Amino acid sequence: MESGLTVRKREDKSVMEKLRILSDAAKYDVSCSSSGVGRRGDGTGIGNTLAAGICHSFGADGRCISLLKILFTNECIYDCKYCINRKSNDVPRASFTPDEICELTIQFYRRNYIEGLFLSSGILHSPTYTMELIYEAVYKLRTFYRFQGYIHVKAIPGADPGLVERMGLLADRMSVNLELPTAEGLKQLAPNKHRKSILWPMRQIQQGITQSKNEIMVYKHAPSFVPAGQSTQMIVGATRESDYQIMMVAENLYQKFDLKRVYYSAFISVNEDKDLPALPEGPPLLREHRLYQADWLLRFYGFEAKELLSEKKPNFNVLLDPKADWALGHLEQFPVEINKADYRSILRVPGIGVKSAQRIVRARRNGNLGFDDLKKIGVALKRALYFITCNGKMMYPTKLEENYIARNLIDGKEKLPFDRDGMTYRQLSLFDDVRAAGWKQMNA
Amino acid sequence: MEEYYLVCEDSLEGIFTGIYDAYLKKISHGQIHICVGEEENYRLFAVYETCVPDEKKTASVAKTIIREFGMETYLSVCRALASGEADKGEAVYKTVVTGFSMKNKKELMGNLSNPFVHRVFELARFTANEAHYHVEFLRFKELESGILYAEIGPKNNVLTFIVPHFADRLPLENFVIYDEKRDIYAVHPSKMDWYLVVGDEKRNQQERIFSQGEKKYSELFSCFFHTIAIKERASYGRQRNMLPLRYRQYMTEFQENKGSYGS
Repeated sequence: MESGLTVRKREDKSVMEKLRILSDAAKYDVSCSSSGVGRRGDGTGIGNTLAAGICHSFGADGRCISLLKILFTNECIYDCKYCINRKSNDVPRASFTPDEICELTIQFYRRNYIEGLFLSSGILHSPTYTMELIYEAVYKLRTFYRFQGYIHVKAIPGADPGLVERMGLLADRMSVNLELPTAEGLKQLAPNKHRKSILWPMRQIQQGITQSKNEIMVYKHAPSFVPAGQSTQMIVGATRESDYQIMMVAENLYQKFDLKRVYYSAFISVNEDKDLPALPEGPPLLREHRLYQADWLLRFYGFEAKELLSEKKPNFNVLLDPKADWALGHLEQFPVEINKADYRSILRVPGIGVKSAQRIVRARRNGNLGFDDLKKIGVALKRALYFITCNGKMMYPTKLEENYIARNLIDGKEKLPFDRDGMTYRQLSLFDDVRAAGWKQMNA
Repeated sequence: MEEYYLVCEDSLEGIFTGIYDAYLKKISHGQIHICVGEEENYRLFAVYETCVPDEKKTASVAKTIIREFGMETYLSVCRALASGEADKGEAVYKTVVTGFSMKNKKELMGNLSNPFVHRVFELARFTANEAHYHVEFLRFKELESGILYAEIGPKNNVLTFIVPHFADRLPLENFVIYDEKRDIYAVHPSKMDWYLVVGDEKRNQQERIFSQGEKKYSELFSCFFHTIAIKERASYGRQRNMLPLRYRQYMTEFQENKGSYGS
């Protein structure tokens, strides 16, 4: 009787209400990228994808809106303590029908609002049952509506592996959320989820991708399995892991599971629970920012996690970005001569990114580069000048000394949310060098 | 020493013809300059010549650039010439001259320490970035007749760079993209090739009536746009960095629902 009643209630909701509830419930998922696969339309349906991905809008929080990010349903049998949709919360519940999802996706897509669909879900009845619902919606979208745009689906841990495999042939990207960096954390906050059951579909997807790549090499038209790769996400700041532990986990995921992306999500306190930290200063956004910076260093700059952090120094410097922090600890490797050094050493200079480094290597074939040329190329000389020479000369006479450079690198303009990290504004006194004091504090 | 100024039409054809004519002069390239459109301040002791766009000369210059400097340079040059800046003609002309003095001509666009090559690089980057912004932020509205209609107002002439993307993406749709600043329409009929139409006043003044579905889905998207943002992370500065204000006047989620809708 009672279940009949809830079903009727659910049907009463308009698409607008459902969209409001189910996008609101999905917003804590970070992944939004539509990149990783370039596919032209075949002229018989709607949609294509661009390898670089396309953002279609930016919300009030500055995050990109690329995919229609929704849950299939926010009803859930699990009770994860950090999650807004947990069983014990009293929030309005709703579910889409596969047709509603298809219609929304197509109508948004043809108006160029979105790049595709991101479909996740709370667990309704069982993981396999939920996965089947998602599969039905995506199958309809791909076949009946002939949608060839981007689709990102969550693989639900514990669902039937056969279903995951069929799903992978329809989706461009799949992801399984690691949720918390360590097994202990998971046990503490997500009692229904287990590390093993999360890693298992991740491994399955990885093997599927490798196998499909091999098949495509032989048979050009073999169906491709999750062509845009898989990603995952970790919550940062809900449990006590150090940055070092998080980076080691991320590095392992990249190396052993061939992940395309690891996302870090600053913990946002949506539930009050004795096991969750109280965060009166708001989510740890600066920490999340440093983790992303380090993540880039791992993926594009040839760094290893253990170069950046160690057991002894388990957390990132709040005041300096990880690359500058690393460079200050390795001054013996600097200055680097721009006109002679190899690409890898140039890439390690603070203020020089991948694009600038590539342009430098290319441009110096046509003659020596000076500081003016570097500026044109796009090097942030303000940071780089302490670490480079052009034709044997530094830009200004500077000391290669850790404290001196650190004082100059700490940038007043980089808007660090100081108040959010417990450092509040204080009265200045005549003999205080605030920047230097902050730096010493970090080193102590 | 006489200085020559070749006044070219503001188009790819115009400037390529200018480059062709400059080479015909057989004098030092330092004495020849290309300017686009009407010159505002005429110089003393300089000769001004007007170039009439010529199809054969254009094709010949395009072919030479592709053959000598490769496709990368050609695309950069095309993008640079779509720019709205006045010095684009001179930059492209002197870049070509620079290219012929290089040992490895295919590396022309890598020679960023040359000021002209760098200028072309800059202009091309600006056009490419703006074209990408339009691929991201362009919004179609469904007219009562079912045609999708979008308006843009770019600083560079990006229309021809973005239409192929949408033609590939929406092959079965009838859609129109209108560049207000230059008064050009790009028209894509369902399952056919797209083409450009220059606007006329009559067509521009017609009021556009949108479909009922348009009202419904624009409201749904505005709702989605607002709920998907996380309150605790609000950052309007970042939003403005990523999505410059000048694009917002054309975007559904930043507009109040005005305009008329059919029944």
